[in-house]
Amino acid sequence: MTARKLWKQVKKYKLIYAMLFPIALYFIMFSYYPLILGIINSFRESKLIGTPRFVGFANYKEVLANPLYMNALENTIIVGVLTFIVQFVFGLLIALALNEIKSRFIKSTIQSVTYLPNLLSWAIVGGMWITILSPSGMVNALRQIILGEGTSPIVFMSEPKYARTIMVLTGAWKGAGYFAVLFIAAIVSINQSIYESARIDGASRLKQIVYITIPNLVSTMKVIVVLGSMSILRNFDQIFVMGNSLIYDKVRNLLYLIYNDGIVNFKVGLATAAATIVLIATFLLSTFVRKITRYDETYS
Amino acid sequence: MFRNRSLNNDLALPQRIINYIFLTFVFVIMVIPMINVFVISTSTALDASQAGLKLWWTKFSLEGYEYVFRITKLGRPFLNSLFVSFTSTIIQVIISSLAGYILVQRELPFRKAITSFILLTMMIPGDLTLISIYQVNKQLHLLNSYTGLIINGLVSGFCILLMRNYFLSVPESLAESARIDGASELRIFSTIYLPLSVPGLATIFFLEFVGKWNSIMIPTTLVTDQSLFTLPLVLKSMIINKSSVSGAPPAPDNAVMAAIVIATIPLILIYVFAQRFLLSGMTLGASKE
Repeated sequence: MTARKLWKQVKKYKLIYAMLFPIALYFIMFSYYPLILGIINSFRESKLIGTPRFVGFANYKEVLANPLYMNALENTIIVGVLTFIVQFVFGLLIALALNEIKSRFIKSTIQSVTYLPNLLSWAIVGGMWITILSPSGMVNALRQIILGEGTSPIVFMSEPKYARTIMVLTGAWKGAGYFAVLFIAAIVSINQSIYESARIDGASRLKQIVYITIPNLVSTMKVIVVLGSMSILRNFDQIFVMGNSLIYDKVRNLLYLIYNDGIVNFKVGLATAAATIVLIATFLLSTFVRKITRYDETYS
Repeated sequence: MFRNRSLNNDLALPQRIINYIFLTFVFVIMVIPMINVFVISTSTALDASQAGLKLWWTKFSLEGYEYVFRITKLGRPFLNSLFVSFTSTIIQVIISSLAGYILVQRELPFRKAITSFILLTMMIPGDLTLISIYQVNKQLHLLNSYTGLIINGLVSGFCILLMRNYFLSVPESLAESARIDGASELRIFSTIYLPLSVPGLATIFFLEFVGKWNSIMIPTTLVTDQSLFTLPLVLKSMIINKSSVSGAPPAPDNAVMAAIVIATIPLILIYVFAQRFLLSGMTLGASKE
């Protein structure tokens, strides 16, 4: 296309460009500019008044030398990976189990009930489980019924040794249903004739599940692993609602620490440096996961 | 397709029993906490504070709900959440469908570049740029304002591309024949493209409404004025207050649970309405653009 023709085309669509302009402006102001501003700030000192000086990599050095950030990294990975694994296993099992049920009523009831918590915010789910795990809550009542009247209640939310388990299990309680829905959608789309011919060849139903259903879910599993690897680093709400000063050492994660340093304590330089490191780590991790699952080859 | 599953294509009896036990276990784990919350919310403050399973009422009472509206004053945050979520979701749906439609115009110069510009924003995790987003909002005087709550997250690359993908699946011959009949672009958009993309519109509406209703991070960062608090912020402070010593007297358990039930109701309503469109939309969201 010649420049003249192109110009004619552009003029023809000028109304459309005018419509796109506010959208572009939004993305520049709330997506691209904050990204660049964050990177710039990570090289500057944290100063509220006046123009902050550039300090090179000092903030990055401070982050890497800060034991709190190392602790947060450990918490993020342990809680994140374990939550993902429990969620994945239960999501898959629920989907496989529901597929063997013929009653549509039972199917849709269990599917809706497992999916529901996924819709609720952590303010809701967190508040719910804090109450259930409180000294007068249901879990302690169950312990008294099983272990006898004299059992003294455990204050679960202030015991560091239970903190990670609680975050993992409540996280999985909230999220497993979503994975189950994704697996169910994939199971439904498997060609039924494969099952028919396996049945004619005399394969039992269990064998069909192991040799037909599960292998046909591999591509869905890859999608879920890619989605999951991204969400591990982005779990702010749960810790924000359910964390407290007694258990922070076990559960405080990177996003929460960055929020706390940057927004609450005004250590902008430190927090943006940490955020930039996590940003790069996220990018590397996603590239790595895509590579080992051959995500791009399968889906492009 | 041959759908007749005869008896010999079932699991063996012991396996079927294990299957039912597993599903019962899942069902109980999911439902019991919800029943517990509902029962506590409709008990008296005294019963709620007593130890016990609390899966049935000692005495049915709505005093928790009364407390929440009279003393915690949950009405204002509830309306705030409703207003902010609805306004921004509706604007989001309009913007996404218009922008999605623009991106399927084959003749539009620089279409590829514009699409990449939008696609790239999906790679920037918003929660990692939070500190800069706070600074941007401060410079624009959007802190502590409804405008700020509505405008943050108003446009999403994901929603635009979801709509674009829906529009791409509309056969072009339909639009072509309408064009020959002299229909205007706006007419083609509203009578051909939009009706064929209802599941996409419903998915965006649902996902965005739920996301905004539940949003904690952005409102916490932008809002310190209590009259602008959204529901999750009030819920959070009610929960924190229970376990801390300082500040206002903590709300009793039945009130906290009542607030939780109130915050859940709109989500369940919208889920019921949107459910029949959702499966296709959600799986679309999980596959690569």
